[in-house]
Amino acid sequence: MAKKDVTKPMSLDPRGGRPREKCVTGIEGIDRILNGGIPVGNIVLLAGTVGSGKTTLAMEFLINGAKNGETCCYISVTEPSSKMLSNLQTYGFFDDSLVKEGKLNIFDLTVINDRLGVERLDGTYTAKDMEALLGAFEDIVDELGVTRLVVDSITAVCYQLPDKGSIRNFIFRLSQFLSTFGCTTMLISETVVDSNVQTYSIFGVEEAVADGVFLMGNIVRQGDLLRSIQVIKMRGAKHSRARHLIELTPVGLAVIPLLKWGQDGGHAFT
Amino acid sequence: MSIANIAKSIIKSINDGDTLATVTLPASNFHEGTVKLATVLLGKKLGGIYITTSRPSSQIVAELEEAKANLSDLYFVDLVSMTVGGNTDDARTLFIESPTMLESILLNISLLERRLKAKRIFVIFDSINGLSIYSAPKVLKEFINVLANSMRIKSIYTMLMTVEEQTDDDLAAALELLSDTMIGT
Repeated sequence: MAKKDVTKPMSLDPRGGRPREKCVTGIEGIDRILNGGIPVGNIVLLAGTVGSGKTTLAMEFLINGAKNGETCCYISVTEPSSKMLSNLQTYGFFDDSLVKEGKLNIFDLTVINDRLGVERLDGTYTAKDMEALLGAFEDIVDELGVTRLVVDSITAVCYQLPDKGSIRNFIFRLSQFLSTFGCTTMLISETVVDSNVQTYSIFGVEEAVADGVFLMGNIVRQGDLLRSIQVIKMRGAKHSRARHLIELTPVGLAVIPLLKWGQDGGHAFT
Repeated sequence: MSIANIAKSIIKSINDGDTLATVTLPASNFHEGTVKLATVLLGKKLGGIYITTSRPSSQIVAELEEAKANLSDLYFVDLVSMTVGGNTDDARTLFIESPTMLESILLNISLLERRLKAKRIFVIFDSINGLSIYSAPKVLKEFINVLANSMRIKSIYTMLMTVEEQTDDDLAAALELLSDTMIGT
């Protein structure tokens, strides 16, 4: 009888199977939470309240990719790209040359809209506008060979879509082609807290279509605000579901598990 | 127990391969004694991280300089200066905004570890009692548990400084359970 091989420990991952190729975010702690990174081609909803660090996290995700030689793209919906570039200078981990070399590309959605001629006075996209916009996103990703994309924010785009069905359709179509291109994407979702409950999105549709959801918020501890992050779901990856503290340090964001007793019973989001 | 004998016990504890020691000093010479212990360890060519919860780091630096300690491989995590509006501009110090932000202590230790040149390093936590002013006992105990195990995993010799008169039985029992050794009065 053949001897049992005892040199290889049995995998403790209850899912078994082979892990998917990961997009390493390079953010200390996030990759650990995600067991190596975001599965390549996934669309992640980065949901959070104001001041919770969504844009900073998304930017570091792009900058780390650009430093790694990838082509990364940020689509700004809520503020001019020039303002975003000025803000970037304040990050110790930012490097000007990434923009100059075309590794980090920043686009204004308003400029894209102007070029497509889809800006409407009533602020609502028609079905034709939506097709044009999806086509523009696809062109950017395809022509530049983008492997990491951030849309800041998807909430602002959703406000211009006529109904929930259109929102679902838009994000679904977006995720389909991004996945085909192997482009890992973060869609920023602005959320609010109502009666101590934080939602994942304003419209309640985005989280169902996205492959992953990061929930970011502020926890009140004796009057002080602490930034928190929790991975709610991530298709194709085993991940932690614990709430973590997130902090901006001179070398970038750092993530560490939150003390359990220091969370005010979990009813202190703002 | 004299400071000299406590210092000897700490050196023995390090040589024995311990990673976590609770060091208890009386309030009457707590600050002076803690600075002396740090000076002794720095003299043994250990690199160090000094976490201060009770006094601004600038004051501790001044006292260490007076004691002729070698500060070339010593860094600080300061939970006091920002709270009281003190000096927060020092290259060797990372300042934490509020003493309630306990997790930040662990993050900042990790950051400072990368800067240390010495192979053997120590963390001196001055003091556990300083944190108890701002955190409820169950939060504090959880933090000590996390801190102790984090340092154990990293094999960083850690001294949890406690003031004899301010440490109640419950906290003392929690510290004893976690520590490799209890040093002091």
